[in-house]
Amino acid sequence: MAAPAYPAWVTRWVSGQWRNKKRPPTLRPPRTLALADKVANRREQSTEATCITEMSVMMACWKQNDFNDTPCAKEIRMFYDCVAKAEKERKNQNEDTLSSKGNLPSSKVNKLLKRFPQITRYV
Amino acid sequence: MAAPGAAGLGRRLRAWLPRIMPVRWSRYNPNYLEPEVKKESYQKPLEELTEEEREQMELKAVRPIKAAPPSLSSSVFSDPMISKFTNMMMKSGNKVLARSLMSQTLEAIKRKQLEKYHKASENEKETIECNPYVIFHQALKNCQPIIGLSNITKGGKTYQVPVPLTDNRKRFLAMKWLITECRENKHRRTLMPEKLCQELLLAFNNEGPVIKKKHVLHKMAEANRAYAHFRWW
Repeated sequence: MAAPAYPAWVTRWVSGQWRNKKRPPTLRPPRTLALADKVANRREQSTEATCITEMSVMMACWKQNDFNDTPCAKEIRMFYDCVAKAEKERKNQNEDTLSSKGNLPSSKVNKLLKRFPQITRYV
Repeated sequence: MAAPGAAGLGRRLRAWLPRIMPVRWSRYNPNYLEPEVKKESYQKPLEELTEEEREQMELKAVRPIKAAPPSLSSSVFSDPMISKFTNMMMKSGNKVLARSLMSQTLEAIKRKQLEKYHKASENEKETIECNPYVIFHQALKNCQPIIGLSNITKGGKTYQVPVPLTDNRKRFLAMKWLITECRENKHRRTLMPEKLCQELLLAFNNEGPVIKKKHVLHKMAEANRAYAHFRWW
């Protein structure tokens, strides 16, 4: 038998649209469903303090030698070397590369996203 | 009508002409190079110069050079550390007085050391240092603190955290301590050069109140070493 051609209201009735499916849309997005051009401001974790081991070694040496500098000259030199190295690394740190922990702070992410924004409409 | 016109013209002309009097905060164009004051660098023959020095010389032919500040001198007797110390001793811009005090101090150091030298026995004579500049530099070096304390606020409370110091800061602290010590803890009738001379000689031998102050700072840093993790640099 050929497919019976029912009137439109019959098919709609059968599909249940009139019973419980004809509802206003449940999702009414207040904003457009597209990614925004910025990230939420997250308080970034502060970096660790540098040269703590050298400092503690030097202080132990001080405690033993009554805070004289001449017997502790080696430890003091090591501390100075560590401080100089940390200072140089801080200066050489490029802004656009990842931080020492491997994540970008939210301000830098926002700057990058602003350069490449989400295209919301085609002109 | 001619008067306001002339006044406006004068103002506009003055704004267009470059300043003749030097201004305190004048900033040089980044093209300007630093002046080279040392005579030895000009006496070197051309072959001995390294690549970068040759480039520097070529740059000097085309780039303008900043005016040398009056404190910069090419004399063999000028010492940047002594100039800095003299400036810190200076009060109300009286550089003449500060410089004379400094030279009197160095003379007093030399006199005292010579007296000791002539009184000493033969084998001790070599150990006595007579050069006042060497004594000054060594005394300052002995007075420099190695680690400092800085106030860091965490959770509403301020802690004294041990922190490494930069070279400039160490030099400044050493000089500042010396000068305050000489200004405050002296008898009314002793003059500054004499007192400074005493303090410098004590500091040269790692004794005296300034060295004690440095040790006190180190002890406090050592006592607070648990807070060292509050630093974030």
